[in-house]
Amino acid sequence: MSSLRLAIDTGGTFTDLIVENESGQLSLFKSPTTPSNPVKGVLDVLRVAAEGHGQPFARFLGRCTSLLHGTTRALNAVLSSNTARTAFLTTEGHPDVLLYREGGRSDPFNFLREFPEPYVPRALTWEVPGRIGASGEVVKPIDEARVREIAGELREKHVEAVSVCLLWSPLNPAHELRVGELLAEEMPEVPVTLSHQLTPMLREYRRASAASIDASLKPLMSDYIGRLESCLRGEGFAGRLLIVTSNGGVLDAATVAAAPILAINSGPSMAPVAGLHYARLHAGTSTAIVADTGGTSYDVSLVRDGHIPRTRETWLGDRFYGHMTGFPSVDIKSIGAGGGSIAWVDDGGLLRIGPESAGADPGPACYGRGGQRPTVTDACVVLGYIDPDYFLGGKMPLDPAAARRAVEDCVGRRLGLDVDAAAFAIVELATEKMVHAIEDVTVSHGVDPCSAVLVAGGGAAGLNSVKIASRLGIRRILFPHTGAVLSASGALLADLSATFTAPAVTSSANFAFAAVNNCIASLKDKCREFAAGPGAGAVATRVTYSVEARYERQVWELEIELPVEKFRGAEDVNRLVQRFHEEHQAVFAVADRDAGIEMLSWTARISCRLHEERSQSTTMAGEMSAAGRVRSVRFGSPERLRTAVRSMDDLRMGEVVRGPAIVESGFTTVVIEPDSSAEPLAGGGLMVTLTPMRSGEQFSAGER
Amino acid sequence: MDAVESAASPDGGKLAVMHARLEAIVRKMTNTLFRTARSGVINAGRDFSCCLVTADNELLVTAESLPIHVMRGPDLMAKIMRELQPAIRPGDAYLNNSPYHGNSHAGDHSLLVPVIDREGVYRYTVVVKAHVADCGNSVPSTLYANATDVYQEGALIFPSVQVQRDYRDCADIVRMCQMRIRAPRQWYGDHLALIGAARVGERELLALGEEVGWDRLVEHGKSWFDYSEQRMCASIRKLPNARVSAVNSHDPMIGMREGIPLKAVVEADPAEALLTVDLRENPDCVAAGINLTESTAMTAAMVGVFNSLGAGIPANAGSFRRICVRLRENCVAGVPRHPVSCSTATTGVADRVTNAVQRAMADFGDEFGMAECGLGIPATAAFISGKDSRRNSATYVNMLTLGQTCGAGTPWSDGWLTIAHVGNGGQVMRDSTEIDELMYPIRIWVDRVVADSEGAGRQRGAPSGEVEWGPVDTAMEGMWSSDGNTFPALGARGGGAGAKARQFKRSRDGSLSPLDAFGGVRLEPGESVVAFSCGGGGYGSPLERKAERVAHDVAERLVSPARAASVYGVVVDASGKLDRAATAEMRASRQTHS
Repeated sequence: MSSLRLAIDTGGTFTDLIVENESGQLSLFKSPTTPSNPVKGVLDVLRVAAEGHGQPFARFLGRCTSLLHGTTRALNAVLSSNTARTAFLTTEGHPDVLLYREGGRSDPFNFLREFPEPYVPRALTWEVPGRIGASGEVVKPIDEARVREIAGELREKHVEAVSVCLLWSPLNPAHELRVGELLAEEMPEVPVTLSHQLTPMLREYRRASAASIDASLKPLMSDYIGRLESCLRGEGFAGRLLIVTSNGGVLDAATVAAAPILAINSGPSMAPVAGLHYARLHAGTSTAIVADTGGTSYDVSLVRDGHIPRTRETWLGDRFYGHMTGFPSVDIKSIGAGGGSIAWVDDGGLLRIGPESAGADPGPACYGRGGQRPTVTDACVVLGYIDPDYFLGGKMPLDPAAARRAVEDCVGRRLGLDVDAAAFAIVELATEKMVHAIEDVTVSHGVDPCSAVLVAGGGAAGLNSVKIASRLGIRRILFPHTGAVLSASGALLADLSATFTAPAVTSSANFAFAAVNNCIASLKDKCREFAAGPGAGAVATRVTYSVEARYERQVWELEIELPVEKFRGAEDVNRLVQRFHEEHQAVFAVADRDAGIEMLSWTARISCRLHEERSQSTTMAGEMSAAGRVRSVRFGSPERLRTAVRSMDDLRMGEVVRGPAIVESGFTTVVIEPDSSAEPLAGGGLMVTLTPMRSGEQFSAGER
Repeated sequence: MDAVESAASPDGGKLAVMHARLEAIVRKMTNTLFRTARSGVINAGRDFSCCLVTADNELLVTAESLPIHVMRGPDLMAKIMRELQPAIRPGDAYLNNSPYHGNSHAGDHSLLVPVIDREGVYRYTVVVKAHVADCGNSVPSTLYANATDVYQEGALIFPSVQVQRDYRDCADIVRMCQMRIRAPRQWYGDHLALIGAARVGERELLALGEEVGWDRLVEHGKSWFDYSEQRMCASIRKLPNARVSAVNSHDPMIGMREGIPLKAVVEADPAEALLTVDLRENPDCVAAGINLTESTAMTAAMVGVFNSLGAGIPANAGSFRRICVRLRENCVAGVPRHPVSCSTATTGVADRVTNAVQRAMADFGDEFGMAECGLGIPATAAFISGKDSRRNSATYVNMLTLGQTCGAGTPWSDGWLTIAHVGNGGQVMRDSTEIDELMYPIRIWVDRVVADSEGAGRQRGAPSGEVEWGPVDTAMEGMWSSDGNTFPALGARGGGAGAKARQFKRSRDGSLSPLDAFGGVRLEPGESVVAFSCGGGGYGSPLERKAERVAHDVAERLVSPARAASVYGVVVDASGKLDRAATAEMRASRQTHS
């Protein structure tokens, strides 16, 4: 019997599963998430799949060589403050690193929101006497007796986890290591995170935040991963359990349990990985805007020249009000605009969308569960985009009258618009917010969106992605066959990957060849070790080196890929400086070519490809729709248009569906706007192309 | 675009969409400046602002900008630029840092770029304003409170001077700056960042105008102003028909032993939906660097108004129509006459004026106004300068952004911990100790908040910040102008005052000696400055503060159990365990005695 690979993504409402067989055929399954017991949700969806394959559960699991798992467990624990009682050990004189954060505030005249509480309260913060200086020198030795005393106080306070972040530990970890040793002696049962081991980056707040988040997740995540693994093993799973990381790769479950912050963005981080794959496969490009439309949020990332974007500025919760992870993660911009976002009109008569969401309960008005306020989904029902009888393949009938009523009462009447115009305004404003999210990740990075393909994932992506593309001048929109479960499909494509970082502060004017080369060599050793350990048996292994660099006196760095793995002379340094100028020009539209650069941290990223790439195709478990229907749909102009409704499954290869049209599948609805056309893709999915008429008219008018 | 839509009156949906597009442009400008600037005060401290001004010289959009920078000023500067320069062309850029020509203070370099469409029609002015690390003053600080006039202040003043033509630098101006501004490479890097941000704004606006049509964009501006005006009207109509006032005082300085008394009179006319702030009852200009400029006097009053009315009113020329600020010439909180110095015009007196306005407005009722924010700029955030032995003795000058806490209690929330000062609105970013120590020969020994320093209240003020800093292996000069050493941030509606700012020199033997509030110090290796910022004032009676919140503050070691009892009437042990019965009793007896 052939072997299977599984990818499971546990989301807020659904647990998604993709099963891949040896010939690359994918089958998709969904089952409700049980927030109180996510292990159950995983087992449930696996049982559904076993049934779908007509096999006993143990036998089905026995065929699986690997299970790639994305989970929002860690993130949800942080957002709901459901983490371990964690203590924070800091350098003497600096107890308020977590309280102060990095400053900043988003809305100058809005004093409704309180200043956020620190991730670890001051009551659980201890100052460690001792000080390392900026060159790594010991300014004041560590007071070991005091550290032992502190351990006693931690026990008295029933602390369950400890984070340690001392100043300058990335340059000289001696004090942090000694604290770690003493704590291990005094309280061996309590998990500890040392900041320099987790992320040896300068900027104490980010390191302290990362270490504290990590420590606080250790009890919970090692418990979850342990239980998941033992349950799976008990049911007959003998393959490799891998967890999706924030960094867009996977790692062995035990590794993630030991550093659970790795999983803080597990799940969403996979969307760009999947997006890049599909952009290459179907559009022949490696520059793609990847968007994932969910119920409450719209997640966007830009993949440029095949590079998955990364950041160290990920916020859990709102910027300035939540907590910064300070940990490398795939860079995804998330805005509060999704199918469930509520539309409302403010005192001054201005239409607003979100940030409030109807969530899953009561959900949009059209769900008929008591929701009275209109959502983007309701507007789409009014406009005729969504067939109330064929939502999710007909599994969930909707109440169109409730949608109309909500839109009319809460928006139409207040704006003096008829219900169609009001619904259209809602979709247009939601579209505009999404457009800005895309502009934020493209234009601000010097990328013209026109040159990219838009990969539209998420169940609600089809409703306005063509409209979004049209606003941005994007010509091609790709709806992958696994679009509704984009993150899970990304996990199937993910590499086993790890990132190693070490500081070596230097400048182009006075380049420290020996220190930098030693630093890179040590990173290389770590990669070698990783390749021989977890990466053993990989079909391909790739290592890339980069440095965080900036102009003299700047404080924000750009990550620059190294032109060489060993710096032999001025010429090599020059090549790096040139790359920096180019990147600075590309990202910020200016470069100071006479200025030198400073370099802080050096990073090696290793990716081990665990399996040969297969060409995929999907078999959908969705029911057939009533193809060949016609609906009256509202597009840009007030008159509704008679619009053909097609079933995704009925489209023949090579067929072109001209807009206006609606294409439906068991998982999604795609609105093909009047000036666009759609073609089915080999293996499933849809490519929509904008006919250049509309935008062309504007451009030619401008050029004349 | 079909006829039906364009003929209809602009609806709330379209208004929101277009405004979002304009805001996105300002955010792109902001991002460019923040990421590319060289001075810590910009790239870490975020002391800069970006905005769009209409062809009629009205402020249209700001985003995440410093309130004191932008409410009025960009409009004044755009107007002056167009009066002084009759033949403005695409590709021009003008530098204005003149306190007498619409700018805030000389340390803020404002760059103005015209947006002219392909038909040659003047459409918008893009304004980028940033606090540079040095502006050529006679001392290494852009905030020189002791300057007796602009000559002693010494800044290079640019009253709307052309710095780019055909998108290229006017090299003579650049050379001039490089001869007179400390750390010239750093200044030039900042200058490039300003230009980059302004050009991003120009490019994006041109693209937007071409796309949606210039007339429609201009129409949008008018609708947006009307919308914003309506929001302001709705808020003013909730106020009582009353005239309120508040006084406070700027700290004593050389020649002004009693300090400088300041007064704001605020009159609400809900029937006419009009709010008037009168600052004319204030002293004449003084022979110090603390005079306000026209833009900062107007703005200081308006920040107080916006803070007092609650969230949700867009700040632009539309909402401003309903606020009348009365100023007089040659007034310390009015319109300055050349050559008085306005070196600290964005802090000092400006913060006092804003504080007076919002504290006065608290007298309108329990859901209005705010207490006073702590004063600036404390020696925790000093200007440091010297030579860095680790970098071939290269000169450096920069402002630390540490320890500025200062938030005031409001009707809705406790004082925002990192508000910095009231005109900043908490926009400033804090330095990282490690980054400071990497970039300068400095050590930050202590950086923490101070217990029992908050202005008590139903909503309490933020506690003070304490910072101890000193040089490593070299001498270092520090300068500051720290208001709030004598007169603290006052509470409103029965709230208490915050702790005062203060600063000391720690000698090698560890002893502390006090340092002047407006001054500086030269430190040798082994010496340090120990500095405290002001606590923010409290709003409402501390006896009305929820006992659980007091207990939480005690558990968090922000308030001592003794103070919890004596000031808040809450009985709580050091671990934060609340004694409800004893608390109720204590509070009841206090209420009857008061």
